[in-house]
Amino acid sequence: MEPTYDVLVVGAGCAGMRAAIEAHDRGASVGVISKLHPTRSHSGAAEGGINAALGNTAEDSPEMHAFDTVKGSDYLGDQDAIEILAAEAPGDIYQLEHWGAVFSRNGEGRLDQRPFGAAGSPRTVYAADITGHVLIQVLYEQLQRRMTQGMKVYEEFFAFRLLVEDGRCTGVISWDLMNGGVTLIRGKSVILATGGVGRLYRATTNAYACTGDGMSMALREGLPLKDIEFMQFHPTTMYPSGILITEGCRGEGGYLINKDGERFMQRYAPNALELASRDVVSRSETTEIEAGRGVNGSVYLDLRHLGPEKILTKLPGSRELAMTYAGVDPIYAPIPVRPGAHYHMGGVETDNQGLTGIEGLYAAGEVACVSVHGANRLGGNSLMETITFGRRSGHAAAEYALGAPAVGNGGEAARADAETWIKSLLGNTQGERPWSIRDELGQTMLDNFGVFRRPEKMEQQVEVIAGLRERYDRGVVIEDKGDVFNTDLTQVIELGYLLDIASCMLQAGIARKESRGAHSRPYDFPERDDANFLRHSISHWKGDGPELTYGEVRMTKWEPMERTY
Amino acid sequence: MQVGLKIWRYDSKTGDRALREYEIDAPEEATLLDCLDIVKDKHDGSLAFRKSCRMMICGSCGMRMDGGAVLACKVRMYDIAQEGRVPVIAAMGNLPIVKDLVVDMDPFWEKMRAVDPYLKPRYDQAQERENVIPAPQMSVIHKESLCINCGCCVSECNSMEVDPDFLGPAALAKGMRFVGDPRDGATIERLEKYSEPHGLWDCTRCYFCSERCPKGVDPRDAIAKLGAEAMKNGIDRDMGAKHARWFVTSAKTTGWLRETELVPKTQGIVSSIREMKFAMGLAVKGKVPPPFPPHVAAEVHESRALFDLVKSQDRNGAAGIVQGEKALGRIESHHDASRGRDPYTEADSAPRPYLPSEREETEGVTP
Ligand SMILES: Cc1cc2nc3c(=O)[nH]c(=O)nc-3n(C[C@H](O)[C@H](O)[C@H](O)COP(=O)(O)OP(=O)(O)OC[C@H]3O[C@@H](n4cnc5c(N)ncnc54)[C@H](O)[C@@H]3O)c2cc1C
Ligand code: SF4
Ligand code: SF4
Ligand code: FES
Repeated sequence: MEPTYDVLVVGAGCAGMRAAIEAHDRGASVGVISKLHPTRSHSGAAEGGINAALGNTAEDSPEMHAFDTVKGSDYLGDQDAIEILAAEAPGDIYQLEHWGAVFSRNGEGRLDQRPFGAAGSPRTVYAADITGHVLIQVLYEQLQRRMTQGMKVYEEFFAFRLLVEDGRCTGVISWDLMNGGVTLIRGKSVILATGGVGRLYRATTNAYACTGDGMSMALREGLPLKDIEFMQFHPTTMYPSGILITEGCRGEGGYLINKDGERFMQRYAPNALELASRDVVSRSETTEIEAGRGVNGSVYLDLRHLGPEKILTKLPGSRELAMTYAGVDPIYAPIPVRPGAHYHMGGVETDNQGLTGIEGLYAAGEVACVSVHGANRLGGNSLMETITFGRRSGHAAAEYALGAPAVGNGGEAARADAETWIKSLLGNTQGERPWSIRDELGQTMLDNFGVFRRPEKMEQQVEVIAGLRERYDRGVVIEDKGDVFNTDLTQVIELGYLLDIASCMLQAGIARKESRGAHSRPYDFPERDDANFLRHSISHWKGDGPELTYGEVRMTKWEPMERTY
Repeated sequence: MQVGLKIWRYDSKTGDRALREYEIDAPEEATLLDCLDIVKDKHDGSLAFRKSCRMMICGSCGMRMDGGAVLACKVRMYDIAQEGRVPVIAAMGNLPIVKDLVVDMDPFWEKMRAVDPYLKPRYDQAQERENVIPAPQMSVIHKESLCINCGCCVSECNSMEVDPDFLGPAALAKGMRFVGDPRDGATIERLEKYSEPHGLWDCTRCYFCSERCPKGVDPRDAIAKLGAEAMKNGIDRDMGAKHARWFVTSAKTTGWLRETELVPKTQGIVSSIREMKFAMGLAVKGKVPPPFPPHVAAEVHESRALFDLVKSQDRNGAAGIVQGEKALGRIESHHDASRGRDPYTEADSAPRPYLPSEREETEGVTP
């Protein structure tokens, strides 16, 4: 008999670990599945910080936090969810501090807070420039503690199918990376926390593991993806690697300059300058580059005036990254940067408890769309979302599971079916290697569905994706036929996920005939159109492609206004 | 650019082991990890290695290059390729190999778990807001909290090689992360635990861990701090602790290290008799003076003054040692302020930044 847990969490980044901890503390038995060891999750790469209105540096309130978020979302965020985030964030941060998170402190010994883009007050709690790392470490510390109390962590298990019986999710089918073999693990409830899908783009800040697995798995079980066309481009990713230089650099006073040394942001956002919202900065940079005022398709992030002291104490990690991957020491030279795919606002639609449209199935973190980010996420809000909504979904899943009936026993057929599929993948000897499809997808998404979206390019991209899908379906060759640590197999499965999400993004993007947040159509629909598009895009998978409908945005007290910074 | 790599392939099922050579074409900015990706994509899809972040933060890609542990994503291949060197890539040491460059990390995490790697809060109840702690007190553990659990230190640890049960550098550094945390209430319990056999006193001080750590954690420094804290708290039953304490006493009283007394002071009389032959041998070769009468250095007052100074600064615990031992891991991005470079006037420097409005005011031009 397969192992059964009350709550089974898929993914062990910030969202997954926070959910697992909460479910355990609420009395549920908990299993965690992750394709990476938990501390390898991409949450650990977050540098800048996490937003909560503590008011430690200047006056602040959850109300102000909520308003900034609503405005930042270009009014597409669901306001009730945003109010929950802003109200519960401070308590969640104190909890992390009590668990031992090593945050940076101010002169009074309280948690320090730095200014971040589009925030009305300095509200970003941070740990030098390794905030995500510190969060991952503290959460894994707490996980290890609970592992001595019965929590079970399946490290390096690649989940690839959800088990849904009679409309209820009751388990997950995985490939055991270390030993090989297809395993079914049961949960009375399941929480998806598999993170984002940045690998859809060739220039991305995201890790190799960010391939949208959870989004596609849910989509293929009939669940809708919400606002999937909204991919945020981070304005300061290094040329050429795509590796991120934190917004904290601008928070500490860094400048963006073009090839002449001009701080061009004054022309686009006269008040906020470099600290304008990310979408605004990415578009300004792209405009500069397209107008020929860039260098090698990039602009510069200039920290020289901050001086060695500040760079060495506040931004040592960014300096090391610049030295290793761009070959420049920011004390003496500016860093070449350009916009790169960074954060997916869209994801599996959930309610404010993390519940999806399938009984017993929850989602939290970047894989989910509650939606607190709407059309554009503010820096520092997504880590906070992983914690607050991770906790909420852990709570809700535990409560549901503790009162839910036992799971059925029809799982073996599904497992055997999944095993047959894996065998057929491994058995295929005709066709191409997966990398060319993967690279073409990444490059064309960047060219045709990047910062600026032109109608003819989007249409072209639909064709490209169809062609790549055909090649993929014809069969790709997995050279590794073994059982042990076969990442050649898993990357082929991941490529399928990427293709699914790409199709949904293009369909929703073409249909959204307006410019809002990260979705920018300067050549045909340069304005926001609240009359027709103050609505969520909802994508379902039907037959062999996506189908688009729309859903209401939940408003509480903020009427849409024009967004200026 | 053309890059050559020799990779140790290994299959745990069959036990087959082979050194394979690969010649690949890679972009100039490629790291070792990028090169392994190219091998896997275009040459041999069965090559196994771990990766994720490709920006030295996830700790997945620890492996050996020419015999020493590295993060594959931290190694730039350009210079190596230019020199025409063909480095040998292998799995990390001191951990069982699973396949090719992938090791079994379970022993690593078991040791981590053995140091109780989570805060044991000193306060009884969670208060409403955060604990208030002066920033300098938190910075004691800054270095230790940088650890990404990559295993590079463990791979090269000398002591671990002879004693696989040794807690090892990463776990002990994690221990220091809690011992040094003012919020932790289990300092004594921890120090007692870490001082047990296979614990902190079993480190041979070879410094390989600190040299190989890609994040500047400097585990050997963390171990030294643990030792100092243990002794400060009277946890000195272990030989290593006695050894260290005798160093101090000896230097204070006579101004130099009386090695011949060191052995009986730290190991006790019975076992020191076993060492006698060795000590006699040294005495004969003039390496150590005979034990009696104790020789007192002429400038012993200097040594005593130094001792008193350190004591008066209340530096006899962790803080006294921290600064003494340098984080070697960060030397490559070390900043030398003394060179007096001006970032705005160097030949290839970018223009000095200005705001368009400033230029309008001063020069009357519109951008
Ligand atoms: C470079 C960078 C910097 C950032 N900086 C900030 C910042 O300063 N502030 C901020 O608020 N946000 C920041 N973000 C965004 C934020 O870090 C992420 O949105 C957030 O960490 C996502 O967390 P998560 O838990 O949802 O997913 P992840 O941390 O990505 O975790 C996903 C987990 O799911 C597992 N998984 C995935 N697929 C499978 C599968 N098929 N089977 C089993 N397990 C699977 C993985 O192993 C992993 O454990 C940054 C993002 C990046 C890329
Ligand atoms: S200094 Fe100690 S812990 Fe570090 S490698 Fe040497 S023996 Fe191991
Ligand atoms: S101490 Fe350094 S080498 Fe050792 S695991 Fe941590 S980061 Fe890696
Ligand atoms: S891939 Fe993450 S540390 Fe190298």
